[in-house]
Order: sequence, then C-alpha cells, then structure tokens
Amino acid sequence: MSYEWIAILMFSTMLLMMITGQRVFGAIGFVAVVAALFLWGPGGSDMGFSSVMKLMKWNALLTLPMFVFMGYVMSESRLAEDLYRMFHVWFGPLPGGLAIGTILLMVMISAMNGLSVAGMAIGATIALPELVKHGYGKPMISGVIQAGSSLGILIPPSVVLVLFSLIARQPVSQLWLAGIVPGLLMAALFIIYILIRTSLNPALAPPMPAEERARITWAERLHLLRAGILPVLIFVAMMVPFINGWTSLTESSVIGALSAVIAAVLKRRFTRQVFEVATRQTLAITCMFMLIIMAALSFGAVFDGLGAGRAIENLFLREMGLSPLQVLLLMQLSFLVMGMFLDDTAMLVIVAPIFVGLARVLGFDLIWYGVLYTITCQIAYLTPPFGYNLFLMRAMAPKDFTLGVIYRSVVPFVLIMLLTLGLIIAFPQIALWLPHSIYGQ
Amino acid sequence: MPAWLRTYVRVVEAVNYRIGRIAMYLLFVMMAILLWSSITKVFSVPALWTLEMAQFTLVAYYLLGAPYSMQLGANVRMDLLYARLSPKKQALWDVFTIFALLFYLGVMLWGAWESTAYSFSINERAPSAWRPPLWPIKLIITFSFFLMILQATVHLIRDIAILRGEELP
Amino acid sequence: APAVRAQGAPIKWRMQTYAGATLGEHVAKPAIEAFNKIANGQMEIELFFADQLVPTAELFRAMQNGTIDAVQSDDDSMASPTEVTVFGGYFPLALRYSLDVPTLFNHYGLDEIWKAEYAKVGVQHISAGSWDPCNFATKQPINSLADLQGKRVFTFPTAGRFLAQFGVVPVTLPWEDIEVALQTGELDGVAWSGITEDYTVGWAAATGNFLTNNISGAWIGHFFANQKRWDEVPDHLKELMRVCFDQSHYYRQHWYWSGEAKLRVTGDKMKLTTIPSEEWATVEAAAQKFWDEIAAESETKAKVVAIIKEYNDVMSKAGPPYRYS
Ligand code: NA
Ligand code: NA
Repeated sequence: MSYEWIAILMFSTMLLMMITGQRVFGAIGFVAVVAALFLWGPGGSDMGFSSVMKLMKWNALLTLPMFVFMGYVMSESRLAEDLYRMFHVWFGPLPGGLAIGTILLMVMISAMNGLSVAGMAIGATIALPELVKHGYGKPMISGVIQAGSSLGILIPPSVVLVLFSLIARQPVSQLWLAGIVPGLLMAALFIIYILIRTSLNPALAPPMPAEERARITWAERLHLLRAGILPVLIFVAMMVPFINGWTSLTESSVIGALSAVIAAVLKRRFTRQVFEVATRQTLAITCMFMLIIMAALSFGAVFDGLGAGRAIENLFLREMGLSPLQVLLLMQLSFLVMGMFLDDTAMLVIVAPIFVGLARVLGFDLIWYGVLYTITCQIAYLTPPFGYNLFLMRAMAPKDFTLGVIYRSVVPFVLIMLLTLGLIIAFPQIALWLPHSIYGQ
Repeated sequence: MPAWLRTYVRVVEAVNYRIGRIAMYLLFVMMAILLWSSITKVFSVPALWTLEMAQFTLVAYYLLGAPYSMQLGANVRMDLLYARLSPKKQALWDVFTIFALLFYLGVMLWGAWESTAYSFSINERAPSAWRPPLWPIKLIITFSFFLMILQATVHLIRDIAILRGEELP
Repeated sequence: APAVRAQGAPIKWRMQTYAGATLGEHVAKPAIEAFNKIANGQMEIELFFADQLVPTAELFRAMQNGTIDAVQSDDDSMASPTEVTVFGGYFPLALRYSLDVPTLFNHYGLDEIWKAEYAKVGVQHISAGSWDPCNFATKQPINSLADLQGKRVFTFPTAGRFLAQFGVVPVTLPWEDIEVALQTGELDGVAWSGITEDYTVGWAAATGNFLTNNISGAWIGHFFANQKRWDEVPDHLKELMRVCFDQSHYYRQHWYWSGEAKLRVTGDKMKLTTIPSEEWATVEAAAQKFWDEIAAESETKAKVVAIIKEYNDVMSKAGPPYRYS
C-alpha cells in the first residue's frame, strides 16, 4: 500500500469511527492499534502501550489537573462574584456597559485559569442572569459569554499552549507571553464591536436604570474595587516565582491551585460541596484529556511510522507546489474546518504534529504559529456543530436560549476572531514583540 | 437479564467507583509532592525523587480514575449525529461500536501486560539517578486497563438492557 | 518493517535515534541518506528522531521486539539490560580524546565484549564510535565544586550516579524537552554534551555558562539492530551499513573536534568558567573510586574496567601528545 493510501485510509476510518458517536479516545485508539497490528509488522502491538510511557515523561502535563482544579475552585466557590459586581457597578451606567464589563471580567478570569470552561461556568452563573435582568438581547448575552471565556486559552496561563509546547517542543514561557497581546487585542476588538453594535441599536444593551444607579454609593464603588485585587494577587503568586525561575512551571501550577483554594477559604466559600465538585470534575476532565492524548499519540506515531506523515508533507510542499504563505493559509483553513467537527485536543495531537512539522520546514516561527493555533482552537470552541462552548452554553443557559439563538450569537464574534487571526498573520510582531523583548530573539 | 449479569454489573461498578474515588484524591498527593519539590529547592537540596514520583502519581491518577470517569460520562463523544438519536437508538449504536473500544483496550492491556512481565524479568529500573523499579507503575497501568475493560463490558450490558426495555439500577 | 512485502521489493527498516531533529540533522541524517542512496533501492532505512515512534525509555525493548528495526544510541540512555551499559554514555573520566573510543574498541577488545553482551539479549551491535565530550552547561556560573550543590542537571544515568556525591541532582527528561525545561525552571543545567551540541541545539542560549572541566572526554555511541532483521539483510548491504555508520562516527570526530575548540574561542552565547585543577583533582580521585565500585559488580564489568585502566596507563606513559599530565 502506498503512503498516500495509508494516510487517507487512517484518516477517513478515524473520522468514520468518530461519527458513530463512540467515545473519541476509543475511536482514535481503535484505528491506531488496528493499523499497527495489520500494517506495522513485528512488534506493532506495542505501539499502543508505548504512548502511556511517552505521556508519563511529559512533565508539563502535570499542570493540567492543577489548572483544571483551579478553574473549578474559582467557578464553584463563586469567587468571581465580587469581581463581576465591580464591573457591574463601574460599567453598568454606560450603554452596553454590562457586556463590556463581562468581557473585562473574562479577561481577568482568563489570567487566573488555563481553560475556557471556568469562564463559561462563571459567565453563565453570574453574568448571564444579570444581563438578562437588565434587558440585554439574547444573542448579545450568549455571544459575549462564549467569546469572552474562550480567551482563557489565549491569555496565560493556558493549558492549550502547554499542550502545544509539548508537541512543538517550544518553551511554554515564550508561548504564554506571546498570547498576552493578541488576547488583549481580541478583547479590545470585542469591546469595540459591542460599542458599535449598541450605538446602532441601543435596545440590545440598555444602560443600567437611573434608580438602580442612584442606589449605588461612591463608598460602595470604591469598596468594590478591592475585588480586583484578588485576581492580581493570584496571577502574581503564580507567575512571579515562575518567571524568576524560583519555581518550575509544574510547581507554579500547584501554587496557583492552592492560592485559589486559600482565596475561597478566606471568603468562607470553600464548602464541602465546592471541594467535592472541584475534585471530581478535575478527575473527570483530566481523564478525558489524557485518554484522548494517549490514543492520539499512538495514532500519530503509527501514522508517522507507516510513512503517512511524510506523504502529507510531500503533498503540500512538493506536489502542490505552493508558496509558504499559501501552505500556512491552507493549514489554518483546514484547521478551521476540522475545528467544526473535532475537539481541540484531538486536533492538537493528531493534526498538529504534522502541521507543526510543516511550519518548521517552511521556516515559520513556532511561537507565532502556536498563537495562530490557539486562536483557531478558540474559534473551534464556537463553531457549530461541535464546539465546547456551544455545548456548555446549551447546558448552562435557561431554556429560552435555543440552539438557534446560541448558534447565531457566535457569528459576529467568530468574525472578530478571524480578523484577529488575519492581523496576527499579517503582523507577527503583535504576538512576538513581548516574548522577544523579554527573552531576546 | 439473568441475575448473575446484574450481580456482575453491580460488583464491577462498585469496585470501579471505590477505586476511582481513591484515585481522585491522588490529585492532592501530586500537589504535596510538587510542593515538597519547591520547598527543597528553596533550601538548595532538591529531592531526587519528586519529579518521577509526581509522574507516576499522575499516571495512577488518570488511569485508575478512568473507569470512574466512564461512569461519570466524562469521555467526550462527537455527538453530531449521535445526540439526535433516541436513547434506544444510541444504545443500539453503542452495542456495536463499543467493540472498537473493547478492542483498543484489549490491545492496550496486552501491551501493558507484556511490558510489565518484561519489567519483572529484568528487574527494570528507570534510567535516572533515583532508579526506581518500574514494575509497580506498570502493574498499576495493566490493572487499570483491565478495570477499563470491565467497565466497558458493563456499558455494553446496560445498553443491551435498554434495548430489551429492562431497568438496571 | 512492514508486514506485507512484495517479492523483490526493497527491505525497509525503521531506525530511531536518541537525537532530536536539530542534532540528528548532523549526527544521523547524512549517514542514513548516504546509505539509502548507495543501496539504490535494494534497501531503505527510514530515520525517526528522539521519541518520534517510541519513548527513549522503551527504545531497547522496542528494538528487541522488532517494533523498531535499528537504533542509534548510547547504551546508558536507552537503559540496555546488559553488563556493559554503565560504560555507554559517559563513564566518568575514563576517556580524554575522541580517538580513545575507536582505539579501545578496535585494538583493546571492547568490540568483542560489546558484541557478545548484546548477542545475549537478541541485539546485533553494529558499530561503536566516539562522540562529543561531557561538560556542564548551566544557568549559574560554576567556579568551584560547591557551586554544583543542589543543581538540577539533565545528565546520563551513570554520570548522574557519579555526580550525586557532589550535590548534583540528576534529572532524566526526554531529550526534546530539555531546552523548554531549562526555561521553565525544571532544570538548572545540563551535563550531557560538549559545547558544539550546546550551540547546535539551543542550549547555549538557554544556559549561558560553560564549565571547561569535563567529566569525560568522549562519549561512546553505537548503532544496533534487531538480530532477526539483521540476519535477513544480504551481506553486501550489511557491509554497506557498517561503512556508512562508521562514516557517521567519522563525521562526528571532525565536527566536534573543530566545534569544541572554535566555539570556546569565538562563541558569544556562553561564558567560560573553570574549577581550579587542584579542586578538580577531588573529582578525578572520586572517579577512580567509582571505577572500582563498578568493577566489583560483576566479572564483565571488572574486565572492562581493567581494559580502561590498562589503556589509560599506556597513554599517560606515552606522554605528549597522548597525555599531558
Ligand atoms: Na488563561
Ligand atoms: Na467547533
């Protein structure tokens, strides 16, 4: 069988297996071990298991349960409530202010956790009821929360960038720094969109009514500013020892998780219930991630060992005769299409090794490519039919947020993300300026 | 469903639940190990064993916890078409596709077992300065895949029960 | 090797090297490309880099089982279950120059010992060569032995065992993760290579300090193959493989010899430091003691240590240019 046929066969079987609705890790793993048993030759049966040992040595994965736990402690103990109240009081009086406040809240939440799910939980439980109460349009509410929480994987700490760093073998510290400016830029573009949209149609995002405004005293306003200290403290406790080299990344992630616990305890919100849900969900999410990565690693190694990886490289670089930029755009485009159907972990471990290899061969900066990849994942969270945030929104929002509303609500925000993606492709310095100025070229 | 199948389902789920609940707390063991690692580093006497021990603990955490995570329904499915099916049709699909999962887990169990046996036979140690023997973690991995297979068969039995219109507790 | 092979189709091998892509570009790829070119379609070796197919810790068993057909590595990092494994990689202070390795293998009998030991575990030892020396590259400068205290250093298992007595905390990680681990604080330094590799793979920028005292003057590295796969190869291709692999060792000889000197003088990323020789003598004395400990472990190990001692004795008696002290 030719390499090209092996590539096509493995990929199409995998997609077919996934469409059956079997657990993603089972579908990927099945194709990997079957291909290994029948096509590898002697010793092929070991290719599945060896990925367990490979995974064990990937240190940065130790941060995964820590960041997941941290996110759950924050959302379950409603640590962000005061923070939301702060933005509510300060921005509420403006037209669209609550939506802008939600985006800013999401930026702060993103600086404290590495996934999108904590932002979704916080957004759906705290921001959503207030936005509804103040008469914001449903598409605006649903879009703001989904898009805002996706910033969690772009603004450090970011689990997605940790996983990317493992695949691309790039320093995670630089990747994290590279995510900051694009993350803030994207947040700024969201806010600009909200401003324009509300000035065109003020009914979508009414300002806080005058009587409610009158009830808020200046003393309370100033008092609430203190809520903003907490995220800064957690971020500093986690990042300063890390950037200074006092603690390693994995150790910092433990500090982050513990500081979230300490904050919750101090606020007397670390109940048995919070502990139980956070601990159990951390196990559930970690198992889900690790099993998919394990299966996908086997798939990738078998795919590579059977020569299929080379076939794809050949196809893109030699047979199609494309320029590097064209290949890059093609890669992003196929990522976007795949993002509609695959979850980001599967995308990362199956496709990224091939694409990262291509990007390296083409001479692109892999730190920059990591940022492009992460934004693509953000988009994938929001694009129907398969998107984490879409599912979470559907699960967490009240019944009258129909799937139609949820699907439509993401359109403007996906367009803004695409715009950001385009800007960063055109001006790589948006991502690279910060890591370069700290670490040098 | 025959009574012995019901007992099988009950016993397997109870065992996996208990083991999973214990594994769940390994999260805090990992935290303790990594904290100890940073403390010893501050005093310039970093411990030899922390990193590897944390790695072993992570493996035990997610693999021993995996059957419980299956019980919790935590493993994502691509539910593009699947989610639109009725529970009965989903069960029908699963009765067939679960064999893919079982096959995968079977090959993993086989590989894990062979690697463990090899580890025993040469008293394999990790190639590091600490040099811990590797058979304990490999044995845990093997055991975990065995438990995952048991859990998958329970899902199969439950699906058949749904198809036959029976209730399993 | 693929399960289904058509009549007369080329023999296909998968080889995995210990080296990541950046280093493998020099130390593995040229020789494999040369082999494939000369073999002219009769045989093809596909090269895979560190951890690409199987993790390095599983490399030996993968080769024994035939999952991988051939391997380029030292004995120590792939943890071969043999009596000679401690000598692979960097046996502390046993070798000074890169020519020491081929001399010991070709003229002092190590080749026979290695071939016999690997035959016992179903592996064909094809050829041994000399690679780079082993120096410390660290984030903090090392000016005395005391500076080594508490440093988390990526190094070879045997070297780590030896260095632990000086307060070094040896860490084993996948080769590809080292640069990142240096930047994320998981590591304080590496004792893994000479300065050529430090510059080639990016560790120079990630560490910034180079200790000129080396704990070994050369590394012993090898090419191995699964015994059954090796036996299936026709004689002329076996011979070609030996020649190409020796050519890879030869490439390293001049690549490192030139790089080690040139980068010390012209490299701008690393500051050089030296532990005074009176103090370094403690390490050399400790090495002698370590050799004796190893020799006491088994007959084969005793035999190899005796050969190393005999060789070093000849070299120091021969005086300059073989040994200067
Ligand atoms: Na984040
Ligand atoms: Na999507």
